[in-house]
Amino acid sequence: MEYIDYYKVLGISKTASEGDIKEAYRKLVRKYHPDLNPNDKDAERKFKEVNEANEVLSDPEKRKKYDKHGKDWQHADEIENAQKQRQSQSRRNPGNQNNSSEFSGDFSDFFESMFGGDMGSSRSRQSKFKGQDINAELQLNLEDVYESQKQTLTVNGKNIRLTIPAGVENGQTIRIAGHGNPGANGGPNGDLYLTFSIAEHPKFKRDGSNLYATVNVDLYTALLGGEILVDTFDGQVKLKVAPETQSGVKAKLKGKGFPVYKQEKKFGDLYLTYQVQLPKNLTAQEKVLFTELAKLRKNGN
Amino acid sequence: METKNLIPIEQFCSFYKIETTFIDSLESFGLVEVIVVDNNPYFPEDQLAAVERMRRLHYELAINLEGVDAINFLLQRIEHLNQELMYVKNRLGLFE
Repeated sequence: MEYIDYYKVLGISKTASEGDIKEAYRKLVRKYHPDLNPNDKDAERKFKEVNEANEVLSDPEKRKKYDKHGKDWQHADEIENAQKQRQSQSRRNPGNQNNSSEFSGDFSDFFESMFGGDMGSSRSRQSKFKGQDINAELQLNLEDVYESQKQTLTVNGKNIRLTIPAGVENGQTIRIAGHGNPGANGGPNGDLYLTFSIAEHPKFKRDGSNLYATVNVDLYTALLGGEILVDTFDGQVKLKVAPETQSGVKAKLKGKGFPVYKQEKKFGDLYLTYQVQLPKNLTAQEKVLFTELAKLRKNGN
Repeated sequence: METKNLIPIEQFCSFYKIETTFIDSLESFGLVEVIVVDNNPYFPEDQLAAVERMRRLHYELAINLEGVDAINFLLQRIEHLNQELMYVKNRLGLFE
């Protein structure tokens, strides 16, 4: 277990006054507060360290104990005795143990070895704390977000049933209130922030609610016009190809794109880019006919 | 008017043991929308997370309301920039 220098964490000297500690704590807690550093794991870790340091150094008794045994805490008989005493207390009153375990996750193993999982009276004097927010990532395929669907997720060992709204974006984060870690001192639960990671689709590229795809058209249909079957997200549709369609020409299928997020029955468009396929492995007769066509075109021009 | 999606300000303030004037001040800064139904003030449920955050900034970090207002503005800008970044990344995927 790593020794934590609480004075170093707060950037103060061992002779710092109560006022110095308070000032340093306030400055650092503002700097690393999760509300001011959303989704910043490093700031969250530092915020916990600063809180832990303040928990010890702002309490004269804890500070004295820390100053006395800090570095050699592992060998301090006094700590062991205190732990034994605490264990026997918690056996007598198991209810207390349950209450404290809710909050123990916020402090380091070092802190708990010195002062136990029970935050003691100083913590109970403090205001209610909202539980930690949880950030999670949900990996989905594009098909999964074409329609709203209910899913049961397991986050931190808890099952959460939620509806994934159709049209959710890759990288989008939704907040599920009250599904984070439990609050302390009767404070509310934290929130769950769920970020969607949507895999690329092999056929369709997505830009918001519009979809883009490439369709192959054979040479003859491209030259003479005709009908082709194209894939959309909700099945195949017949599409008329105009005569003399070039490679790279785009067609727009209105309303055949992706659902617009949180706007029921509203869809984007599907943009198709024609890719004219030239025939391969020509027969001798085809070669003759194409040569003739080439001559015609040359003479015509 | 239906109050299903509204948070009673009295209840919110009593839960956090704060003065209701805090919400009045937030309203005067345009940081929360207060809705009065049958003489009882409420704020919309979708503003709960923001109000809770502003409460923490004010009471836990001792930031005055002008500071809370500025932080709120900057956090909104960060959120907007993050959304723009997400949009640009997704657009970039079109060309990869």
